[in-house]
Amino acid sequence: MTHADAPSGLDLVVRPGLAEAALWRRLRFEAEDGCREELFGLYAGLARALARRHYRRRASRRIDQGDFEQFAFAGLLQAIDRYDPLLGVPFGAYARRRIAGSIADGVSRMTEVDAQLSHRHRIEQERLRSLARRPAEGEGGDPLTEVTELVLGLAYGLILERTSLAAAADGADTRAGAYESLAWRELQSRLGAAVAALPEREAKVVRNHYELGLSFAQIADLLGLSRGRVSQLHRAALERLRKRMGGFK
Amino acid sequence: MTQLCSDEELDALMQEIQPDDGVGMEPLDRMIASFPQDPRLHFLRGSMLASIGRPIEALAALRMAVDLGPDFAIARFQLGFFYLTSGEPAAALESWGPLALLPHDHYLRSFVAGLTYLIRDEFTEALKHLGAGIAANEENPPLNRDMQVIVDQVSELVARQGDPADADADGGGASATSFLLDQLGAGGGRAN
Repeated sequence: MTHADAPSGLDLVVRPGLAEAALWRRLRFEAEDGCREELFGLYAGLARALARRHYRRRASRRIDQGDFEQFAFAGLLQAIDRYDPLLGVPFGAYARRRIAGSIADGVSRMTEVDAQLSHRHRIEQERLRSLARRPAEGEGGDPLTEVTELVLGLAYGLILERTSLAAAADGADTRAGAYESLAWRELQSRLGAAVAALPEREAKVVRNHYELGLSFAQIADLLGLSRGRVSQLHRAALERLRKRMGGFK
Repeated sequence: MTQLCSDEELDALMQEIQPDDGVGMEPLDRMIASFPQDPRLHFLRGSMLASIGRPIEALAALRMAVDLGPDFAIARFQLGFFYLTSGEPAAALESWGPLALLPHDHYLRSFVAGLTYLIRDEFTEALKHLGAGIAANEENPPLNRDMQVIVDQVSELVARQGDPADADADGGGASATSFLLDQLGAGGGRAN
């Protein structure tokens, strides 16, 4: 085929219901843990949509939308782990109740202090801790270089995040204005290509964190890694991206 | 004990479990309890499970049919096709492998060749082999109907290369299960 968007031959014969059933079979009965992440990806949109709905009806203005999404994603992960694909209940219907329950529980558990320390703030702290590099033994550690590297790492994170936020829940386009957009889009395009070239695990961490908005703890759960390892992979990915991009131009 | 049920018993079972009669799986499960080594019964069970939306158990039954009857060609073809429609082309090709031992002009061999070309997006060759399989297959009309659906989809896709958005990409027209039940009596392969 000459058209990039044309369906493949396989697309013509694959039936989505059977393909999903195959993921459940491989996860539950053939110990293919990677299918958990694929199933999560299939239903992340449902979790996000439910989070949006609950966010619009929220009683407290102090809780931000990111928190609702985190609760929804936690509910989705629980649903994936508890679902029995042999019972004949469609997963979407099963997960919907779990996700709604997880949002309600999460919101009711949140204290005022938690709410003030928004999801946004927590995720920024998490990134900062991941990127802040401790100088190796014997390494002089030029403070200016370290700060520059840290800022560049955070900046690339922001670009990655803004790439996905362009289709934000509220429909607002947060991209740069038209006069900046050419350079901005070029940078995003180069960064997208650099992410695609990352080692598989680093790419998964970047995509799940910046595109889906998952916390490091949730990514750790999804990929079967420790939270510290996810943080390491995040830092390694951002460092690799920074080197490949060669700084802002 | 005889390992396989007789053709008469199988015919009687087929009559008993005709779709929409509300009998369900019980007669078949009873027969499997009596003849657990009969691959035809497991193939039938896989077909029924697929038709009632229990794909995980259906696949297990089809696998059992092929394990018990490695030369049961139609079961092997359908196992591979089930994998293919589940988005598992590598498993499909692995299941189909022994069908290469069928005569060169056997319709199942042509269908496998056509679907293999389809997986590789080599549509012209896919159409050629699927068409040859349909022409050669006189004993299994339900299978021809389903292969024809794929041929039509591929033809449409090829014709619309300049406007691929119109192509039906969800595969909804291809029935992975509808043709299973009708084929047990067809002579697409033998069970040992």
